[in-house]
Amino acid sequence: MDQHDLDCACREYRDLSRRHFIQGTAGAALLAAFRPDWLPRVVVADSANSTRDVIVNIFMRGGADSLSLVAPFADTNYYAGRPTLAIPRPDATVAGKGTALDNTFMFSPGMLGLYPAYQAAQLAVVHGAGLTYNSRSHFDAQRYIERGKAADTSVTTGWIGRHLAASTPARAGAVLRALAISSGLPNSFDGAPNALPISDPTNFQISGSAATGAAREAFLTADFFLDLEPARSSALGVTATLNLLRSLNLASYKPSNGAVYPASSFGRAMRSAAAMIKSDVGVEAIEVDIGGWDTHVAEDPKAGSLFKTMSDFSGSIGAFWADVMQGNGSFSVTLVAMSEFGRNVRENGNAGTDHGRGGAMFVMGRSVNGGKVYTNSWKPLARENLADGQDVPVTIDHRDILAEIVQKRLSNPNIGAIFPGYTPTNYNIAT
Amino acid sequence: MSEDVAVTSRGEVTPDDRSRRQALFAGLAALTALVAPSAAGAQGRVRVPVGPTERTPRHPTTPLKPALVDPAATWLTPELRLARRVTMGLNDAEAVRARQMGYSAYLDYQLDAESIDDSVTDSYVAASWPTTTQDASTLFSANAGTVQTELTLASVFRAAFSARQLKERMVEFWSDHFNIYYPKVAYLKVIDDREVIRANALTTFPQLLRATAHSPAMLVYLDQSSSRKGAPNQNYAREIMELHTLGVNGGYTQTDVAELSRVLTGWTIAARGAAFTFDPNLHDFGAKTVLGVTIPAAATSVGAAAVNEGEQMLTLLVNHPSTATFIAAKMLQYFLRYDPSPGQIAAVAAVYANTGGDIKAMMRAVLSPENLLAAPAKFKRPYHFILSAVRALSPVVTPAGAAAINAQVNVAGQAMFNWLTPDGYPDTAQYWAGNFLPRWNAAASLANANSATSILFNVAPWMTPATTANVVAQIDRYVFAGEMPPRLRDELSAYIGANPSSAARVREAVGLAMSSSSFQYY
Repeated sequence: MDQHDLDCACREYRDLSRRHFIQGTAGAALLAAFRPDWLPRVVVADSANSTRDVIVNIFMRGGADSLSLVAPFADTNYYAGRPTLAIPRPDATVAGKGTALDNTFMFSPGMLGLYPAYQAAQLAVVHGAGLTYNSRSHFDAQRYIERGKAADTSVTTGWIGRHLAASTPARAGAVLRALAISSGLPNSFDGAPNALPISDPTNFQISGSAATGAAREAFLTADFFLDLEPARSSALGVTATLNLLRSLNLASYKPSNGAVYPASSFGRAMRSAAAMIKSDVGVEAIEVDIGGWDTHVAEDPKAGSLFKTMSDFSGSIGAFWADVMQGNGSFSVTLVAMSEFGRNVRENGNAGTDHGRGGAMFVMGRSVNGGKVYTNSWKPLARENLADGQDVPVTIDHRDILAEIVQKRLSNPNIGAIFPGYTPTNYNIAT
Repeated sequence: MSEDVAVTSRGEVTPDDRSRRQALFAGLAALTALVAPSAAGAQGRVRVPVGPTERTPRHPTTPLKPALVDPAATWLTPELRLARRVTMGLNDAEAVRARQMGYSAYLDYQLDAESIDDSVTDSYVAASWPTTTQDASTLFSANAGTVQTELTLASVFRAAFSARQLKERMVEFWSDHFNIYYPKVAYLKVIDDREVIRANALTTFPQLLRATAHSPAMLVYLDQSSSRKGAPNQNYAREIMELHTLGVNGGYTQTDVAELSRVLTGWTIAARGAAFTFDPNLHDFGAKTVLGVTIPAAATSVGAAAVNEGEQMLTLLVNHPSTATFIAAKMLQYFLRYDPSPGQIAAVAAVYANTGGDIKAMMRAVLSPENLLAAPAKFKRPYHFILSAVRALSPVVTPAGAAAINAQVNVAGQAMFNWLTPDGYPDTAQYWAGNFLPRWNAAASLANANSATSILFNVAPWMTPATTANVVAQIDRYVFAGEMPPRLRDELSAYIGANPSSAARVREAVGLAMSSSSFQYY
């Protein structure tokens, strides 16, 4: 790396430095920080689990219409079933046409924010994926996916929670290993040690007189020390995280590589996720949720409701890709996005779609075998090929994809504990 | 940040907590077994002898395995335990009332909400937020932002200051059960809140269910209003069974969802959205079968009378045993404990079956002394927490003050009428427990509130006389109804130290008391 790159790294990092935080406890890491490499990677390389990626889990809540996101343009059944919703073929001469991903599938215009990552072979699309258990309930389907097992009340923790609980912290003594950028803890994190929901990490401060802030934090730390779980760990995690985030300056974070995040709550959350990853303080899992996918009425994937949701989704994740996964300063991160189910192949009477089965997953990272749409026995969307005569069948269990990420990118071989009772199929989606 | 925090995982301690709690409450229940309702006596009083409450050493012997303190360990007065469950939070006046009345009389008093004079709150709300009393055609022409703000602030104000506190808790419960996302339906939610939820919060479940099924806000929220024959929209047909009546395991199938959506075609709203209407032109007159009940095909000449197909289905749903069980379990989880036993669920479901879903009768069963005195404390949700802090302080709150309280609720993640999906805000400690910072900040902000034009918390009575012992005693009285944990008393005494005459210090101590672990529960 030449001097120019080093300067870039330092400049970008000037306001977002973990160096101050580690100064007192990790002098060696501080020295390592001046090695001519991207600062945080150096520190990770010194830890015992250097090969482990940060996992970024995006849940698209509401049942995203996968056939509008990644549409099968080569299938006349798609156009027949969706007279008002279908996206024009890539070779059409009209505005709002799709962009081909291969000979079968295309991104609709709202998804173009993800196209550069797809072209760079760092984004994989999985189609016909989801929960093999047949539930069209949003809430059951979400919970079963996040728990990692369907309809088993004995499984009360989440798949990421179990992974973290069974793994040595990537950074010893990390106060925050799992961060949900939300007001509440998602089911996938249940059971995770050092997990917190924080709706805005750039503004995480105790209010009131600055002069007594430390004393009040000490009071609360002592008071909650004997509280019951989960409040005890959470409250102590909050006071520790107050300290941690004071040592950073996330509000002044500047994205790299010209990345521009949309000015939406999802865009801001992805920006905060990038900042937390780059500050390299031991956060191993981040969840960001995006809603607005339950398009029963006036779905309009070309210019209206769903187009806007897709644009927010793809624009924010596209910016995250440019910011975090591009260039010499890129980070070891795997991102996975999915929804609880897809929607009916045929549109309903309200120019919308009702709850279906198979959906799409998106997997992104430098170690992802991307630039490809993964399917399993995908068939034309004729009625006889559909689940219950109406839906894309689930031919890839979501756990197949997640298990491969856990094994290869999170360095956790103990799949039996993460996805109890399930033997995953390997699609070789990551290296 | 002590080292031990990072290495103590949730999974290690939780089972211990549970058995510890169960042991504690089993003991409590045994003490009160003799005064269960039938034997409670004319006064309905249930007393528990006061005894040692701190069951654990103050300083853990090993930092890796701390002895945890049950948040309710000092809550030994049964009627106060009840009052914590049926209010948005205790304050001095409510605690006095509950103590004077005793357990069963206080429960009767709160259940008989119509007999509680709430005219002061009603008048203030009507004067401050007039759109909450206006009809649909007036609201249709009103400023949309004003209408949403006024409903929200009126709701927060009522929750904090209404004398009908149990009713406010029921309104919160049903507002989640029949959740509606305001931005999708706009002013229709104002009508729904007033004429559906509040009007029926303490009537019967069948009456409430029918009211929601005819509520324009619900029909718009779940897309029923745009469903029509040939391509029916399944959204409402699914959720009325999954979330409103039978429950997801209540015995219906995807075919039932599709068939019910056909039955309900034509259930829509009149032009300008204000009223329910049945439009036979949208209705599917073919034969349908839902949950084994067949509705024969009808001639289109039946016309508007075909609305009765849907009404028949509502009757089928409210009379279904799965509905009795589902509603019973949900009420138990909300008012009693996260994990009601099958026996408790069956008992409340039986009350539903025997009384035609009478909500008050079910509440009596849920909140029986033997149930409640054996129930572990529940974790307050952010809305509940912030309102309980407001109530403890009994401040003077202007409309601007209500907006300030509401802003805290928003930051804490439970903005009113703003949960997108029809399941309503979660009610689990697991979901909310990580979100402490907004709670602490709200508690500090309320304790510091000293503005006659917004929130005025008069701290003077809390520090008269200005001795540390007295300040702590007043905090105990106002915030904990006299049942403050001894450990917190010591912590607060140390924090106030030599500054009991400093209002700033006392306000901070009040804020810390309301931020403390035991104030997170009810």
